[in-house]
Parts: sequence; structure tokens; C-alpha cells
Amino acid sequence: MAGIVKLAWVFLKIGLIFFGGGYVLIPLLHRIMVDQFHWLTLKEFLDGLALSQLTPGPLAMLATFTGYKAGGLAGALVATVFIFLPCTVLMLAISNRYEKFRNIDLIKNTLDGILPAIVGLVAAAAYSLGKTSLFTARDFVLLVAGFLILQFTRVSPMFVILGAGAVGLVFHF
Amino acid sequence: MLARYGGSCYKFPMKQQVRVSLWEIFKAFFFIGATGFGGGMAIVSLTERYCVHEKKWIGLDEFMHGLAFGQILGPFSLNTSTFVGCYLRGGVGGITAAVGFILPSFCLISLLSWLYFRFHEVPELQSALRGTNPVIIGLILVAAAGMTKAKVKGAGGWSMALIAFAAAAFFKISALTILVLAGLWSLIKAYYLREHA
Repeated sequence: MAGIVKLAWVFLKIGLIFFGGGYVLIPLLHRIMVDQFHWLTLKEFLDGLALSQLTPGPLAMLATFTGYKAGGLAGALVATVFIFLPCTVLMLAISNRYEKFRNIDLIKNTLDGILPAIVGLVAAAAYSLGKTSLFTARDFVLLVAGFLILQFTRVSPMFVILGAGAVGLVFHF
Repeated sequence: MLARYGGSCYKFPMKQQVRVSLWEIFKAFFFIGATGFGGGMAIVSLTERYCVHEKKWIGLDEFMHGLAFGQILGPFSLNTSTFVGCYLRGGVGGITAAVGFILPSFCLISLLSWLYFRFHEVPELQSALRGTNPVIIGLILVAAAGMTKAKVKGAGGWSMALIAFAAAAFFKISALTILVLAGLWSLIKAYYLREHA
């Protein structure tokens, strides 16, 4: 029981200082899980990282893996809930006031003014992912095919993604 | 243009549309959470496609504002889900979306963790991922192209988009920093317009 409370407290603290998305989290979790509390060996940490990249959802699901090692299924649940608690509370607070603040002209103009910057960030994510995963001609063929299908048809992205995964498995390239 | 409420002075814009049930919100985000391979922006592109274009639950402006707020603390894919849920049905809707979104990965990771700590092996799925990644880039590009067409206008807009792109892609500046700087810039501009209009 004490272990679970400690787990909750540690992950709550991580959730509170978790600024800037998943890739900031990796060194932070590594320090806490491997060096400080010895909940994971380095190999387990790296394998856990690989697992959370294999699965859908945010990279922060690494918390579930770590929690599982430290305290079984209950540990996984506690780690997941507490790491996401701070950001969810913050988001709820912002979203609840959003409608009201948006009626203030200055805020509305500011928010609308940053829309192009957000577009730039979305495009940058595509670029960064491309840099690490587009190597062969076949990768580019899949990219173009995926883009065309998703841009011009209403086919669910799920089928396109799963289909591409099957292509990857079958052809082993 | 898609369903938008931006700019209208309704006090409660969400009352203008059909009330989306909590179950509907849960289902949508469960689905997004289960298919959201490829990291934050891939998930957001999926959410945008589903909630903005297919279901027309939220306008593109509002969605992008949610994405911007989501950069503050924690994973922005989860935060954007919370924002959309909250936009549709208040706090309960936000929590429903967040839980629905996390649940599939939670179950999957728990199962894989159990297998891993039992057998100490990571499943050989790397080659499947080699196939999905290009398609996921395609998915993000579709979202980026749609947003560009709708929201990047004029020399000012294009400069901001290109600077933000370069700052994030080539100089690895954090999204939060970029958005705060863009926000300051457009606040000054909005202030100036108000004073001199």
C-alpha cells in the first residue's frame, strides 16, 4: 500500500513538471526510474520505450509500463492516472474559460493570430517524422499513396494505417 | 467552410448544435486512442479529421486553439482530446474524452508489460512500423495542407507559418516557446490595430 502511495506521489510530481511533450519526458523518466528509484534496469527502460513507441497513444504511456513493473496492474493504473492528472486538470480549467475569454476581442485576435504558427508546427512534425522514417523509394510510394487516399477519399485512416502495417510486415523492407 | 461558431456572439455557442452524447464522445476518443500510432501530431491529425471534418463537432479555429493550449503541460494529444470533450460537454465531457483516449493504450501497454516482464521480449513489430510511418506522415500532411489552405493567408501569415516550421523542424525550438512568441507578436499586433483602427 505504501508503495502505491509513493508511486502515485512520484508520478504526480512528474506530471506537474512535464512541460513540452513526450521527448522531454524520456530523460526525466530515465533519471527517476533507473537512477533514483531503481524500479527499472536500463535495458528494461529502453525496451519499455520501444514498447510505447510500438503502441498507439502518447509516448507518456511509458508511465504505464514503469508503474506495472513497480506495482503490478494497480501500479500501472496509479502511475497512468497520476501522471496525467495535472495536465488534465489544467486543460479542463482552460477549456472551461475558453468560450468566455474568446469573446474578448484582444484575446480572440491573439489566438487567431497564432493559427499560422500552429500550421507550421504540424508541418514540422511531418518533417521530423519523415527524416527518421523515409529512406527507400517504397517509403515514398507509401507516403504518396497514403496522402492521396486520405486527401481524396473518405476511407478511414485506421484501414490505411493497418493496411500499411500489413504491407510492412509482408514485404519486410 | 466547415461548421464554425467563431466570431459569433452567442453566449453559449455549444448550445447551437446537437448535443453530443457522452457515449458518442467516449467512442470517438477510444477509437482515436486505439489507432493513434506515430506520436502526438499523428494523433492530433486523426482527431482533426474525425472531430472537425467528419463529425463537425468543433470548428477548425477552436480545434487549433485547443492544440495550442495543449502544448503547455503534458502530452498535447491527450490535452487536445480533453479540450474537444470539454468544448462539447463541459468538464464531464473532457474527462470522458481523456479516459476514452487513454484506455486503449493503457490496456495494450498493460498486456504487453505483463508479457514483457514474464518473457522479457519485445514483439517484433518494427517492420510493420516501417510500413505505417510513411502513411502516418501522409495523414499529418493532409491535416497540414487543409489547415494551410484555411488559415494561412497573406505575407504575414506565410512568414509566421514558415518561421514556426523552421524553428521547430531545423532548430528544435519547443512548440510552447514558438507559440508564446507568436502569441506575443499577434497580441502586439491586435493591440496596435485596436488603438489605431
